[in-house]
Formats: sequence, structure tokens, C-alpha cells
Amino acid sequence: MRLNTVEFLLTQAWSAIVRNGAISGAAITNVAVALCVLGAFALTAFNLDQQARSQAAAVEITADLGKGAKKDDLDKALRQDPGLRSLRFVSKNDALRDLAQRWDLDLSALERIGNPLPDSFHVVPVDPHQVDALAARIEQFDGIADVRYAEQTTQRLLTLARGIKLAGLIAVLVLGTATLLLVSVTIRLTIYARRREIRIMQLVGATNWFIRIPFLLEGTFQGAAGGVVAMILLLPGYSYVQDVIESSLPFLKLVYSPQMLALLAVGTVLFGCFFGGLGSLIGLQRHLRDV
Amino acid sequence: MIHFQDVSVLYPDGTQALSGVDLHFERGEFAFLTGASGSGKSTLLELIYREIEPTGGQVIVDGQDVSQLPRHLVPLLRRKVGVIFQDFRLLPQRTVWENVGFALDVIGTSRRDKHRKVPLVLELVGLGDRADSYPDHLSGGEQQRVCIARALVNTPPLLIADEPTGNLDPAISRTIVQLLADIAERGTTVVCATHDTNIVDIMQRRVVELVQGVVVRDAKEGGGYHAA
Repeated sequence: MRLNTVEFLLTQAWSAIVRNGAISGAAITNVAVALCVLGAFALTAFNLDQQARSQAAAVEITADLGKGAKKDDLDKALRQDPGLRSLRFVSKNDALRDLAQRWDLDLSALERIGNPLPDSFHVVPVDPHQVDALAARIEQFDGIADVRYAEQTTQRLLTLARGIKLAGLIAVLVLGTATLLLVSVTIRLTIYARRREIRIMQLVGATNWFIRIPFLLEGTFQGAAGGVVAMILLLPGYSYVQDVIESSLPFLKLVYSPQMLALLAVGTVLFGCFFGGLGSLIGLQRHLRDV
Repeated sequence: MIHFQDVSVLYPDGTQALSGVDLHFERGEFAFLTGASGSGKSTLLELIYREIEPTGGQVIVDGQDVSQLPRHLVPLLRRKVGVIFQDFRLLPQRTVWENVGFALDVIGTSRRDKHRKVPLVLELVGLGDRADSYPDHLSGGEQQRVCIARALVNTPPLLIADEPTGNLDPAISRTIVQLLADIAERGTTVVCATHDTNIVDIMQRRVVELVQGVVVRDAKEGGGYHAA
């Protein structure tokens, strides 16, 4: 493609945005609002998901050893299970020491009355979702007397994480569809405003793609501009919310890293471009034939 | 250059716009297409640049059956056919120069070619000194010259004009049609639909007369608007 052709296409797109200033402004605002809501939702979902994951990742199965169990044999056998991430042996004495430390008890007094705790393995699963199955398999081993894990808490957290993801997906679909419709309506208005020009282009032999490219660029520009506006609102907004939460709910830690914020910024603009471009395509597909 | 072979057009509403049209236009020929409003003149012209497709028969332009042309090749056909309209169809926010250059921009012509061709064609239509004017500041005749310049700037072998003098007074109409005849002298085939009796009688060129979609007269040379 020649340089002056590229210049012509860009000029066409830009002049359409400037000429239809009010409509373009409305489209950019719409994209920005949609992306702000999407971004806020994504941030919330991401944080809750991280919270759930860190909780779930801490899920540990405690497998108590029975009397006469051969620790080394069991260790070797358990490690064969592909669902096992890590395994740690805790002797009954260590367990007692832990207990005394945790509850601030007199260890020597406890030792005098005899240690009632069993030796145990502390097992971390590869996939927290598979904790039930892993626990059931461990229970089958000879020498394992009992298996315990925080079943309900884990399951609730994982269910919550799944729910958040699903709600996020639905929000993306609904808001994404609304954004697409808005951009396609804007493109329709531009097509109407430029119908005379398009007609002449068709008559003097411009190819369909040549006619379409300025509209695609226009939609993409609008999407990108909406994305930039959303990014400008989201980044300080998130920082503000983080400050508020930190001071009022210190036990809740929001994820806040330069990488995540950079990803959010780039993602918002790219999403804007994608929605803008796709909205234009839909608008073109539906309305260009009417010219 | 153009062959119509037993061409008919039946619109979806049941209107028979053309039926059994057999015509042939040579390269460099100048011909009038006459007939009352609704006789099928515009339909016949629209077939040439594949604005519509025939429901029967064949339309062959420059050796190519345009009704069989795949959709993506229609723009290439249109680069061979310059079209002139009664209502000029100029872009009001662009200057004369830009209006003409626009036709080259949209087919990807280089900047150098554009700067060479536009002044030449503006000189040809007698608008060399109005290049920077906007269409609203031009007379009807001048606007039609811009339209002709735009149609010609890509040097198409074929020029079709749909009532080019419909909005012009008789004196201006004569100069516009004379300009089209001069263009035909340079080897461009010109087909001009009109119901301007005076112009047809003065020019004494080939006249194809349509009545209700049927060719009722084809006076090869020296034809008047009405049959002798």
C-alpha cells in the first residue's frame, strides 16, 4: 500500500471523527463507561479470585499414622501419587511442640501426662479442587489411621471463586455486547453522514476494503480513545480504593503491582480497540449495503 | 466496446424495465440514448457499470461479461467506466481539484500521477483556473464539467452520461455535449442518455430510442430526436 494511500485512509478516518464530533464523543464516552465497569469488575473478580486461590492453595491434608505404621514405606508410597504437590512428616513430638507453642501451654507438663498425638503426614494437593479425591486415596493406604482437612472452607472458597468468574464472564458478555451495539450505531451514523462520498467511491472503482478501512480505523480510534479514558479513570480509582480498604479493612489485601497495573492499562486500551474495530465491522456489515 | 445481447431487466416489483435489447457500441463512438422518463435509459446505463444485473441476456463491456463478474472484481470494471450524473454528485466540502483528485485517491494512484493528471483533465474541461473553488461557488455548467473531469481523470475507455444536461440551460447544455463529443473524438466511447430534443437534433449523431424498455429505433448516423 502506498504512503499517500495510507495517509488518505487515516485522513478519512480522522476527518470523520472530527466532523461527527458529537457522535464520536458519545461513542468514546460509551466505550469508556463500559470499559470502566468492565475494568472495575475484572479487578474485583481478580482480587477475590486471588484471595480464594491463596486460601485454597493453603489447603492441607493431615494423614495420621496408625500404630506400627512404617513411616518410610508410607512416605515413598504416598509420593507416587501424581495429585500430591508436597509431603511433610510431622512426628508426634513435633506436633506436641507445635501445639504447646500455639496455645502457650507448658510442654514439660504435657510430656508428663503422655503424648496423645499421633505421627502424621501433612500433604498439599497439586489441585485444591481435587482435595477430596486425594484424601480418599490417602485413606486407602495401610498404616493411615485417619485423614483430616478443612473440607467445607475450601469448597466454599472455591465455589465463590467459580461464581465470581462466571459473573465476570456474564458482565463481559453483556457490557461487551452493549459496547459493540453502540459503536456499530455510531458507524451507522458515520456511514449515513458520508453516504454521498461512499457512493462516489463505489462508482469510481474503490474496492470494498478501501471503503471499509476508514470506518474500521474510525471505530478502532474511538475504542482506543475510550480505552485510554477508562484507563485514566481506573488506575487512580483503584489506587484510591486500595488506600480506603487498607485503612478501614486491614485484613483485606488488594493485589497491587506495577505488572498488574501495566497489564490493566494495556488490556483496557486493547479491549477498547477490539470492541471499536468489531463494532465497526458489525456496523459496516449491516449498513454499508444500504448506501 | 459494449454489447447488449437479448438483454432484459425485470425488477422485483414486476416492472419490465428492458426487454430483448440488442445493441453494440464501437470504441470511440458517441451515441445518444433517448426516450421518455421511465423508458429504460438509466437502467440500460446502470447495466454497463454493474449497478444492476440483467435478468436475461448478456452485457459485455470491453470483452467481459459483466453479469458474470464476481463481486470483488466490480471495482475494476468501474475503473474502466466514467459516469456522469444529472445532479453532478460532487463533494461540497472539497475543492474542484480535490473532487477530481478524490477519484484517483480511492483507487490508490500515486501522489505524483495525481498531480500530473488532475491539472491536465481540468484544462481539458476548461476549469484550469477554478481548481481551488468549491462546488457551491460554481455555475451548474461548471459543476457538470467537474463531474466530467472526475469521470475522465482515470482515462477510462468508456464514458456514460445519465441526463448530463438535465439541470442546465440550453446554451450551457450545448457546450457540455460538445465537450463529450470532443472526448469521443479522442477515442473514448461515450453513451449519453438524454431527453433534450435540441441537443440531439443539433449534434446529429447515432440515436438509440427506447420505448417502455424496448429499442424502437437505432439511427446509426445523423439521427434526430424524433424519427424522420
